[in-house]
Amino acid sequence: MIDFTLTEEQEMFRKAAREFAETKVAPKVKEMEETGKASQAVIKAMVEAEMTALTIPEEYGGLGLGYTARLIAVEEVSKISVAAGMMLQVFGLGIEPILKFGSEEQKKKYLPELAKGERLGGTAVTETTGGSDPAGLRSSYIKDGNDYILNGRKCFITNSHIADTIIILARDEEDPKAFSTFIMEKGMEGFKATHEENKVGMRGCNTGELAYENCRVPQENLLGAEGKGMRVALGAIGDVGRGGMVGCALGLQAACLEASVKFANERILYGKPISSLQTIQNKLADMKIDLEAGCLLGYRAAAMQDKGERCSNEFAAAKYFTTEAAQRAAKMAIDIHGGYGCMEEYAVSRYLRDAFVLGPSAGTSDIMKVIIARWVLS
Amino acid sequence: MLKIVVCVKAVPDPKEAHKIKIDPVTKTLIRSSVPLVLNLIDKNAMEAALQLKEQLDAHITVLSMGPPPAGNIVKECLALGADRGYLLADQAFGGADAYATAYTLAKGIEQIGAYDVILCGMASSDGSTEWVGPEIATFLKIPVVTRVKELVEYDGQWWKVKADVENGYRLVQVKLPAVFTVTRELNTPRTLSFSGIIKARKKEITSWGINQLGVPEETVGQKGSPTIVSNLAAIESKREVEIITGTREEKAERLVQKLADTGVI
Amino acid sequence: MQKQTGPVWVIAEQIDCQVLAVSLQLIGQARKLAMELETSVEVVLLGDQLDEQTRQLFAAGADKVYLGNAPELALYQPEMYVEIITKLAKERRPEIMLIGSTSMGCELAPLVAARLATGLTAHCIDLVLDENKILENKIPAYGGLMSIICPDKRPQMATIASGVFPTPHPDDSRTGEIVPLEVPDDIPGLIQTLQVVREEPEGVSLESAPIVVAGGAGAGDLEGWRKIADLSQVLNAALGSTRPAVDAGWTELETMIGQSGKIVSPKLYIGVGLSGELQHMVGVVGAKVMVAINSDAKSPVFEQVDYGIVDDCREFIPTLIEKIKAYQEKLVTC
Repeated sequence: MIDFTLTEEQEMFRKAAREFAETKVAPKVKEMEETGKASQAVIKAMVEAEMTALTIPEEYGGLGLGYTARLIAVEEVSKISVAAGMMLQVFGLGIEPILKFGSEEQKKKYLPELAKGERLGGTAVTETTGGSDPAGLRSSYIKDGNDYILNGRKCFITNSHIADTIIILARDEEDPKAFSTFIMEKGMEGFKATHEENKVGMRGCNTGELAYENCRVPQENLLGAEGKGMRVALGAIGDVGRGGMVGCALGLQAACLEASVKFANERILYGKPISSLQTIQNKLADMKIDLEAGCLLGYRAAAMQDKGERCSNEFAAAKYFTTEAAQRAAKMAIDIHGGYGCMEEYAVSRYLRDAFVLGPSAGTSDIMKVIIARWVLS
Repeated sequence: MLKIVVCVKAVPDPKEAHKIKIDPVTKTLIRSSVPLVLNLIDKNAMEAALQLKEQLDAHITVLSMGPPPAGNIVKECLALGADRGYLLADQAFGGADAYATAYTLAKGIEQIGAYDVILCGMASSDGSTEWVGPEIATFLKIPVVTRVKELVEYDGQWWKVKADVENGYRLVQVKLPAVFTVTRELNTPRTLSFSGIIKARKKEITSWGINQLGVPEETVGQKGSPTIVSNLAAIESKREVEIITGTREEKAERLVQKLADTGVI
Repeated sequence: MQKQTGPVWVIAEQIDCQVLAVSLQLIGQARKLAMELETSVEVVLLGDQLDEQTRQLFAAGADKVYLGNAPELALYQPEMYVEIITKLAKERRPEIMLIGSTSMGCELAPLVAARLATGLTAHCIDLVLDENKILENKIPAYGGLMSIICPDKRPQMATIASGVFPTPHPDDSRTGEIVPLEVPDDIPGLIQTLQVVREEPEGVSLESAPIVVAGGAGAGDLEGWRKIADLSQVLNAALGSTRPAVDAGWTELETMIGQSGKIVSPKLYIGVGLSGELQHMVGVVGAKVMVAINSDAKSPVFEQVDYGIVDDCREFIPTLIEKIKAYQEKLVTC
């Protein structure tokens, strides 16, 4: 018999995450919207609430709670702020490659500090020459003695400026088919965050460019085997990156539905609340069905991940479904709000802008379909 | 080691409690599925216990009387940092008024054993009588201070606390063991933490029924309650509302006009 | 032979030798109950330097006053007060005992009730005798009115807030018996009130304000609450609240109106961003005009007021304040 319910303990995790989001993130939403910058207060609170420690095993100073707990946390935070949810999920995305492919020394060096929030993580793959086509990237490295010299730029990188420990994917200058991942640290000479983007949605999540010019990277910062970096980067993005997007999308879907129900119950037209009208009810039903389906897809994949099973396909399906559903939900929410939906005081206009940034993050919907087709045809 | 017992109650979520209504025909309660949550002021009682534990050497036991779902709030208190939990659950305890509730809790506390400080929220958001704390104290034959809003001296046999009175406070000196009921002003409760939830895995919750407490049926539950509900009636309103419409400006103007016309402003 | 019904008791309270209004109100109501029960009204008053106060109690309707008048009783001392009252109650066997729901009353009542192993009801908004001459305590609950009785145990105890019953017209011709009470000498000595410090309340007191503006959860946050406070200021009103606003920390417990808080009887009551929960609305007694501002058109508050505005209070209030100011200016100039 399949049990689709969360355990009592998982329900308590959800409660803790919700309390956190309502007390520590909600008060900062306005500021994040206005400045577009990540909130230091939110980061500090996330660290204090041990949210950077969720997926790190206890032996490395983490809580060892796994991916379902992580999904719950990202989902609850995203209900209040997708930007904060995205920032949190990318902290996890920066942790995952070290967790899965790091040597024992690397794990001992980085994971405890990442767990405590003394280091903040991120992963950088996308460049102007390709995000959907990672093999088209131009960043390159060349061996110099025991070290590597890195050259290149990354763009559209979440946490570019706030993270200090970033996993970078680059290609071998001497062998165009070989890629490697490196653990880059802010402070390395020649490595810096440059331009910061001003996004129309997911404001409060720092997105920007990284540049490294003749940056010397020591041998011990090579992550995984030399030449096998694509596997490292895409492996992390495939599971944890997509999983994080699912959390953001589910949170946003739920927020859209809640706002729509509230508004529909209050708005009186033709002498009664519009929630009594069938056209409105249709939209609410659609949102609800999408939310139920999205939860099942997402939590199923997370459960597989907790068991250690391969799940990047399941996450591709979940990511595709939930991010597309979030965009539909936001549009429906705006429609239900009518003119009010276009006004800044109503959160739904923010939801719409946030929803559209979900799409191209961690792989576009079209790329998700390519992956799913491959899954079907294999 | 200071032994603290915190009495907590599972109440219908105040945000949804309005959904529980009286059926005007059958005169009973229509309980929709309103979830039970930890009574808000009890969080302040828990927080007081946790702060005492951090400052002195203390052991915190959580006690609650309620149906099995109340076990979740006991677990929540363990996750917040309490050490041990007890749930008094038995059909025989059902339908208790404040007197029978206090009696049952007092018996539970006696069963738990030694105690120095008993903390309760000042009142619950559903019954809201404020009676249970003082009545527990009477049954245990110990003193009580209600509406505590500040602990002034608290590291010895004699404590000094400030109790809230209208427009001020009462400075009270009391010898332990004692009961303290607390106000929202006393502290700011901490929120649940992930590591607290993990630590709670190893903590024990014991459920006791009437047999374990060893009390006669007539002393608990509805049978042990001196008061009973004799009637439930729906309230009829005597006012007929006029909803003022228009644009925001128009509504404001019209309202002011009405108030001026009726001579109240 | 019919057993003589015990007296109706009121435990009166004094602060700095001033008898509280609620005590007089309860004596007034006790008088009515006593007449129906064909019994007398007895009042217990404890304190120090009490000379003139008994006259007030008789004028309000007491037949007998038990007076504890000693320095040891100047402040509320739980052990002594409880001992005096329970000992006397065991002797005199009152049928009914009424106590004002002040901070002292809310502690004293359950201590006495538990000692006497009897029933106690809180937040009563009406007290009547039912067909069996048993005290029926009516309290608001679940959107309706719940009646609670204590059928077997005696005394039947209840706490009532100030303002539920009217202050009786004093009948100065009335006199009665004063029975002095002794200070007990056998108390355990485990608890002592060392001092009581009170400040003069700021602004208009809720209970006597002609205009009351009450805010609730709809304020949203402190900023929203301040707008409601601004509204009360511009109207020279007293600012009240509901429990959610107190819990959110926007205002003190002292401003809470309702069955567990203050009772108000203004000319004008404006409820802003509150849902009209019975627990709050019963605190508003006999207002001439009641207004509600709430964003939810289905809110139950709209069934209980004269005028309703469906709008987000945070947006509506600034506009309302504008219009009020314009109206006030016109008043001044004409």
